Amino acid sequence: MPKEPQAQNPNFRMPGHRGPGPRMGVAPIEKPEDGKKTVRQLLRYFSRERRMILALLLVVSAVVLCSVLAPSFQSRAIDQITAGAFDELGPVLLWMVGLYLLYGVGTLFQSLLSAHLSQRIVRRMREELFDRIVNLPIRYLDSHAHGDVMSRMTNDVENISNTVSQSLGSLVSGVLTILGTVAMMLSYCWQLALLSCLTVVLNVVATKYLSAAMRRFFRKRQLLLGSLNSTVEEMVSGYRTVVAYNRQEAVIKRFDETSDELTKTGIKAEILGGSMGPVMNLISNIGFVIIAAMGGFFALRGMISIGVISAFIVYAKQFGRPINEIAQLYGQIQTAVAGAERVFAVLEEPPEDKSGERTMEGSRGTVTFRKVNFSYLPGKPVLHDFSLEVRAGQKVALVGATGSGKTTVVNLLMRFYDIDSGEILIDGVNIRDIGSDALRRGAAIVLQDTVLFSDTIRGNLKYSNLEASDAQMVEAAKMSNCHAMVCKLRDGYDTMLSGSGANLSQGQRQLLSIGRAFLADPKILILDEATSSVDTRTEKNIQDAMVRLMRERTSIIIAHRLSTIQDADVIVVMDEGRIVETGNHRELLRQRGRYYELYMTQFAGQKT
Amino acid sequence: MLKYLKKYWVYALLAPLFMVGEVVADLLQPQLMSTIVDEGVLGLSSGGTGNLRLILITGLQMIGLLALGGSCGVLSGVFANFCGQHFGNDIRKDCFRRVMALSFQQTDRFSTGSLITRVTNDVTQVQNLVMQAIRGFVRTFMLFAGGIFCMVALDLSFGVVIACALPFVLGLMLFFIAKANPIFGKLQQKLDQVNSVVQENVSGARTVKAYVREEYEKERFGRANGELVDTQLRVLVLFSYMMPLMNILMNLAVVAILYMGSIRVQSGGLTPGSIMAAVTYVSQILHSVIMLAGIFQTVSRGAASARRLREVLDCEPALADGATVPSPAGPVGKIEFRDVSFAYPGGSGERVLEHINLTIHAGETFGILGATGSGKSTLVQLIPRFYDAAEGVVLLDGVDVREYPLKELRGRVAIALQKSELFNMSIAENIRWGREGAGPEEIERAASVAQAADFIARQPDGYETAVSEMGASLSGGQKQRVAISRAILKDARVLIFDDATSALDLKTEAQLYAALRTSHGAATKIIIAQRIASVRSADRIAVIDNGRLAACGSHDELMAGCPIYQDIYNSQLRKGDETDA
Repeated sequence: MPKEPQAQNPNFRMPGHRGPGPRMGVAPIEKPEDGKKTVRQLLRYFSRERRMILALLLVVSAVVLCSVLAPSFQSRAIDQITAGAFDELGPVLLWMVGLYLLYGVGTLFQSLLSAHLSQRIVRRMREELFDRIVNLPIRYLDSHAHGDVMSRMTNDVENISNTVSQSLGSLVSGVLTILGTVAMMLSYCWQLALLSCLTVVLNVVATKYLSAAMRRFFRKRQLLLGSLNSTVEEMVSGYRTVVAYNRQEAVIKRFDETSDELTKTGIKAEILGGSMGPVMNLISNIGFVIIAAMGGFFALRGMISIGVISAFIVYAKQFGRPINEIAQLYGQIQTAVAGAERVFAVLEEPPEDKSGERTMEGSRGTVTFRKVNFSYLPGKPVLHDFSLEVRAGQKVALVGATGSGKTTVVNLLMRFYDIDSGEILIDGVNIRDIGSDALRRGAAIVLQDTVLFSDTIRGNLKYSNLEASDAQMVEAAKMSNCHAMVCKLRDGYDTMLSGSGANLSQGQRQLLSIGRAFLADPKILILDEATSSVDTRTEKNIQDAMVRLMRERTSIIIAHRLSTIQDADVIVVMDEGRIVETGNHRELLRQRGRYYELYMTQFAGQKT
Repeated sequence: MLKYLKKYWVYALLAPLFMVGEVVADLLQPQLMSTIVDEGVLGLSSGGTGNLRLILITGLQMIGLLALGGSCGVLSGVFANFCGQHFGNDIRKDCFRRVMALSFQQTDRFSTGSLITRVTNDVTQVQNLVMQAIRGFVRTFMLFAGGIFCMVALDLSFGVVIACALPFVLGLMLFFIAKANPIFGKLQQKLDQVNSVVQENVSGARTVKAYVREEYEKERFGRANGELVDTQLRVLVLFSYMMPLMNILMNLAVVAILYMGSIRVQSGGLTPGSIMAAVTYVSQILHSVIMLAGIFQTVSRGAASARRLREVLDCEPALADGATVPSPAGPVGKIEFRDVSFAYPGGSGERVLEHINLTIHAGETFGILGATGSGKSTLVQLIPRFYDAAEGVVLLDGVDVREYPLKELRGRVAIALQKSELFNMSIAENIRWGREGAGPEEIERAASVAQAADFIARQPDGYETAVSEMGASLSGGQKQRVAISRAILKDARVLIFDDATSALDLKTEAQLYAALRTSHGAATKIIIAQRIASVRSADRIAVIDNGRLAACGSHDELMAGCPIYQDIYNSQLRKGDETDA
């Protein structure tokens, strides 16, 4: 018995890559929607690796050849021992040593090749996928679950590469082994060969039946595990709320129920899974006895030699394994193809249209919206005939209730979304004619949900302007009132922000992202509820700084707090996608319209 | 950890016992096989004529033995699973229960993410360790030792072969494990990096695009991805060398056995059948060595997880429950801070609150204003004992909050937090968290006070609409209103709004407070806010500045006497006079 199941196919999985998933072969199998098309795409995708794949297949064939030949030498050796021909044993043993060495070197190359191949594929695929994700239109990202996009990047890519580098090798080696073994067996004794095949078929049927039964339990266990994990995640991250409402007992009860259910299902699944080994063992040994008995019978009649029996025992084992493997591979390949389908779906997604010849060079920052209509979902318009003229150097404020379309205006100006009809002009040039990169370089935006990266504070501030000097950065930080706060931190500007800046308060995060926007030195500055968590006095300081910075430049500000926008040159009051009032603070108050109403609620507080 | 196992000691004992049965069967099988070959096929003792009857009888014996061994194996699996999974379940439940009893100070120290991994992943690891220990370990050891024993029993010369080969095999394995282990740790780290870059780019796409940093991000990702791939490749390459080397070693042992065997057969001391048996044993021994490598992994990971779990399980809840349940006399909901100081444990040691003396009367509407980071939130979090004051006392209705049973105390206080945490259930269920068993009308009433009724009614399934995970489908203002509904439903005597209306537009906020005044007039209401308008009509307003109480009084009093308040007011309403224009 020269080899071990693990030896031929390094079906090696990275520990920690996947959670406690079901064992191989019983994992839930996904079916691709259009398998043929995806397989064609995959083939095209991997044609660049064809030399490596070819080399791998060659090595695999060599390894298979060795593993098919080795038992025949072993059987010859035993024959010679039995026959007492000890003089002839030496060369045979030497042959065996040579064959085993070759086999070892072959498996080494096989696994090295498959390792390199899989990692090359993973690297390329991830990079291309990331390239596409970064260039996807915002519309795509807004309408797809982020976790889903993430899992394509990790799980699906991993699956594909494993399948290509390992399953492919297993498949080829499996088929070759079966063919080779059957040929060898047939050449020895066709009757015994048929018998061996029979036991193998028995084995395969048993596996198939058992794993089908198991798959149900493993799937259920997987579901329960998922729900348990999400309960833990929710309750631990929302622990403050749990405590505030004294809900610990109820939460624990719910957790215990899921946990008990999981244990019950887990036990069933594992027991079934655990019984697979002994059952298979039993079946394969029944096969052994049949072969031994029949072999003995044939040997008695002088039809075959003893060595042949020992060779058959090895062959029967060698022959059964790849058949089982191929059955499992089928499921794996299907899952991988389904994953590839999802990956290709992203890769085929058209990237954001960033075309445009014009630049913003020498732009003064005049912004014009002309009869703009827009809807996120067809049939649900968000902006109706929206027209607005912002002159260069003006400070324009958008106010209005949640859902009135203020943020949409910003989304359109930055060309995160393209408008349905009408036009948006900067200095008289349609923004569709300006390259998106140029457009965005000319404008800086601070969003309501601050985005900070896991990098140092310095890295985060300079994100908007990689060439900025430290002095410029500190200047921007001072203007955004975050310099003092940064200086209080132990590592100052070199403090690492962990987990998207979770170690800062919301207000502090907002100050940092305003600093980042200031450092960009933009022609147009857009603040979308950028100071909602900053206290009003700090906000006032920032605004004074902004006035200095934005002199002769355009700024657009969205805010709930009217204090933020009182000194704006133009205040635009929006309601349900329409402009209902425009004017400066004084004028609007005099009109006693919607703005006056808003202002009075704020000014007079709850007395209105 | 062992005390969890005690409960299942019968299983823990039975599993290895039955495993012994399985292994014995596995070990005996080659003997029977060699009998079949030697006696049945070759007929060595009967002068060269085979014995078909013997083949069949021994064959049936072998099948019987394997059936017995297999049943033992299955039973061993059953018991190991009973033991391991129940053990894991107990630990998981205890661990979660313990997490749910920790103080915020303790959860802050552990960090949320780490607690989640402990309850989920670490429990699985420890459970695997137990199953491995009572089953795999016994099996591997017996196969290993038994295989060697049987070989030596067959012939001493085989023992010599194994004795020569084993040190190499074991040494090789230890070498590779020692090399691979540190890389595994790094691998996880690199994987986290890649995930975090993708995560940031997916959720921060607007920022990336706004600053035209696509190329920069691609480079960043390329670096992280390259590092991950390289590390992964290192592991794979390492293992590429391990398996073939092991195989060559063991196969050379097979050749050596054939050679030694041939000499022994020549001298008549051994039969060809026993050579075949020996070859089988070699493969069994190799198998057990490979399994040993796996077990080593499980043990080292399991031990690390066990240590992390013990940290949680040994963590005594820092907040001691009080015992006295004071009977409320007179108006209830009075809060008193007496010389309260506070610093976040584990922080820089800087005091967040210093010598606060403050009384909030029952039924009062009390506003708190102050700059970002001035300590407003910290102050109110001392009331339901989210944290304990470092110095001084906080009293609720004249009783030190530490003397209340926690459940009682928190039952008397409803708090809507700055970050509204919603759970992945329907809106109605989320609101019902406020008071279990509340009827639909009560929920609707609370929602309408919180100004949430309108938008909830517009949802496709109304109150039954599911809040997708952490409320991603709702806007910030909507989330806040659901969270406020929940607090209102609680009907507590103290109602705290910790900047809970920051995402609401002014009109909605004003309507909310007006509705609240009518519905909860008797409750003490504490409102932390940024906007003066939010607190302006409060009975009294406290101004917190750098952890100190700067002033406290009504709007008019503060306007007259508190420069900080005037400053805040001016920053928000400095052109207020123009209303007259």
